[in-house]
Amino acid sequence: MSSLPAPDSSPTSGAAGALAGVRVLDLTHYLAGPYATKLMAGYGAEVIKVERPGSGDPSRAIGPFVTPHPDPETSIPFLYLNTGKLGVTLDLKRAEGREIFTALVRQADVLVESFAPRVMPGLGFSYETLRAVNPRLVMTSISNFGQSGPYRDYRAAEIVEYALSGLMALTGDPARAPLASGPAMTQATAGMCAYVGTLTALFQRGRTGEGRHVDVSIHEAAVDNVEIAFAEYLHAGTVAKRKDDHHALVPWELYPCRDGYAALIGGPVRHWLPANDLFGEPLLAERYPHMADRLAHRPEVEALLRPWALRKDKKEIYHAGQGRKLAFGYLATLDDVVESPQHAAREFFEPIDHPVAGQQRYCGAPFHPARTPWRSDRAPLLGEHNARVFGDLLGYSAARVGELRASGVL
Amino acid sequence: MGDASRLPLEGVRIIDITHDWAGPHATRMLADFGAEVIKIEYVKRMDGMRGGRLENQLYNRHPRWWEINRNKLSVTLDLHDPHDAEILRDLVKITDVVVDNSRKGVSDGLGLGYDALVRIKPDIIVLSMTAFGQTGPEASYAGYGGCIEPLSGVQSLTGYDHSTRPVRVREVDVTNGVMGACAIMTALVHRQQTGRGQAIDLSQLEATTHALMGPHLMEHMSSGAQPLPLGNRDARVAPQGCYRCRGDDRWVAIAATSDEEWRRLCGAIGRADLVDDARFASAEARMRHHDELDRVIGAWTAEREPEAVTRHLQAAGVPAGTVASVEDLSRDPHLEARGFLHRAADDSGRYPGTPFRLSGITAGVRMRGPFLGEHNEYVICQLLGRPKSDVRPVREQDIGTAFDIEGPAPGAAR
Repeated sequence: MSSLPAPDSSPTSGAAGALAGVRVLDLTHYLAGPYATKLMAGYGAEVIKVERPGSGDPSRAIGPFVTPHPDPETSIPFLYLNTGKLGVTLDLKRAEGREIFTALVRQADVLVESFAPRVMPGLGFSYETLRAVNPRLVMTSISNFGQSGPYRDYRAAEIVEYALSGLMALTGDPARAPLASGPAMTQATAGMCAYVGTLTALFQRGRTGEGRHVDVSIHEAAVDNVEIAFAEYLHAGTVAKRKDDHHALVPWELYPCRDGYAALIGGPVRHWLPANDLFGEPLLAERYPHMADRLAHRPEVEALLRPWALRKDKKEIYHAGQGRKLAFGYLATLDDVVESPQHAAREFFEPIDHPVAGQQRYCGAPFHPARTPWRSDRAPLLGEHNARVFGDLLGYSAARVGELRASGVL
Repeated sequence: MGDASRLPLEGVRIIDITHDWAGPHATRMLADFGAEVIKIEYVKRMDGMRGGRLENQLYNRHPRWWEINRNKLSVTLDLHDPHDAEILRDLVKITDVVVDNSRKGVSDGLGLGYDALVRIKPDIIVLSMTAFGQTGPEASYAGYGGCIEPLSGVQSLTGYDHSTRPVRVREVDVTNGVMGACAIMTALVHRQQTGRGQAIDLSQLEATTHALMGPHLMEHMSSGAQPLPLGNRDARVAPQGCYRCRGDDRWVAIAATSDEEWRRLCGAIGRADLVDDARFASAEARMRHHDELDRVIGAWTAEREPEAVTRHLQAAGVPAGTVASVEDLSRDPHLEARGFLHRAADDSGRYPGTPFRLSGITAGVRMRGPFLGEHNEYVICQLLGRPKSDVRPVREQDIGTAFDIEGPAPGAAR
């Protein structure tokens, strides 16, 4: 199928992305859906983000902003989550807008949407309807609780999903309230699962020629994060509780050190004893040679390790442990993350220019396929590619696009 | 190939040399949708998820093993042994994807690096899921969730406040597993279009950082902002929190994400008087008086069970959800109505379902995680057509563990 030329901002790269030739209509907003389609765009799909005329994706109004004042083109969450996409505007509440959308669906491989479950059928865009328009279409619907069931129309926020999915009961100090995650764990998980689900359906379409409807419930996707605790309940009846980071093994957590916290991880277990001279505490190896000994004497083992950690800096501890093949780490501040020599060597952070937001540094590829590049193009301005998309795909003249814009359809 | 009711990944064969959680979670997702995942196991040092106990074959019976490795096959091979290495090379010839999560260099040393495998199978896809990637000064370092989570910055943002020790979310293994599945599907779709396989370098540190930290790091790099853990509050909307309910350690999460939801919340808890209170007129104002709001909301929830709070507030259009334990999940009416839990076809019990569903497809749990070497004969004789004499029975005296929980096992690890 024909593909649009890459966006103007694209660096000229020779090789095509892994998903080159896949056209995606993106009706998502906020986090989970945009992250899924960001991955599709990054790996070479042509993603056309369809936004509401005037205001666009509501995340354009959510800060923090790069600029001192809120600006729909400088929202950091929007800029990050929409890299590599083309941007068009279309009012789906108007009949003309819906006709144009239907024409786009005819030419799409994938549609990803993240409206509340009643919205798409209400617009006349149920999967059954769209399948009649384009039987090859893979339609992925991402919603808070899925397309069916008693919570289907429940309202959600990240903390509510985190609670209902079983994650929150396992996070935090048993003497205090359960604790929410800082980053948006449930929505990110669902975004990645939507990517896997969409590609699974595309793969099957490659064999059968038929599309599918992919139902992604953020709630259910997030449950996978507690799969071990859940399985232990289902098979053995044990109910896991939050335990303030005390791991089942010891040592296997953060301990205070001279300039922060270091992760002393006693694994891989076979490397623990040979590394014990690191700590200058002969009693460790003599009294607690096996994991069973350390588990039976957690306070004693920790009492031998804590003074050692307090005498040293976090990065010194990290490299010393790793030098002995132990999977040590440390509590990285955001400065530490940004300044990581490992990230620098792999060029994990990439500068991307933007006409309004200026040059900002972004996380680049989440994984590196050797033959097919990751595309790092900026997020689109609201309606930036109207003329190109509606011209190239639907044959509209510039004048026609201008009329549609003037009448508010675009 | 054309039968639409077949599982979408039927006919895709994956050699799984991963261990612990992240790598196995990646292949579990694909096994659920029909891929034939063959787990290569090393008897002298079993996967840590099999634990360290040999009595009553406990290593075959851990619920976590059954879950993470469900729908997979197990074949025991010692890749240091030339005979077994040859069996693996034979298997590679009929395989689509090889996945490993060992540290850099381990696979190459066993002849399982991409350069060796592509000579055996020209369109092979090889996913390496190391902790830190194949390049860079820390490429040889090892990682578990316990070090990747703090190194990614995730843990620096999770805590009750900035004065107490940050807390782990603890589940970045799953984040990395799902990203591993993303990588495999990307390469499979590409191969279907072009006929070409490829190697993929996935750094678990980068994957977690990308999925969970992207906007936070951009903000930091843009403005130098140093975000601190917010406990159960939100940076922009209020009130939001986790409130104690009636019962033993029962809690509910509540968020008013707009002025409208705030007004609904006031009405729903019988405090319509607060709607016109100037102290709570905007999100900024409510943020300033958050402690007071927490007392008001907490007093109301304390007399109710979390499920009742959730139903009542959701009926009023306010985001609220029970802090569900795994026991609560097992009888959640919504998950039940959606048929989320699966009863395995092999009668091994119930399992959580799949994190996405495809119309017209019933993916689910066909089989618990395999017993050690359970499919040696199937793989070696049926798939590869080799004689039964090539199949070595698993002998308990040969078993070693990654996990010396009760001291070294007989015939212990190298």
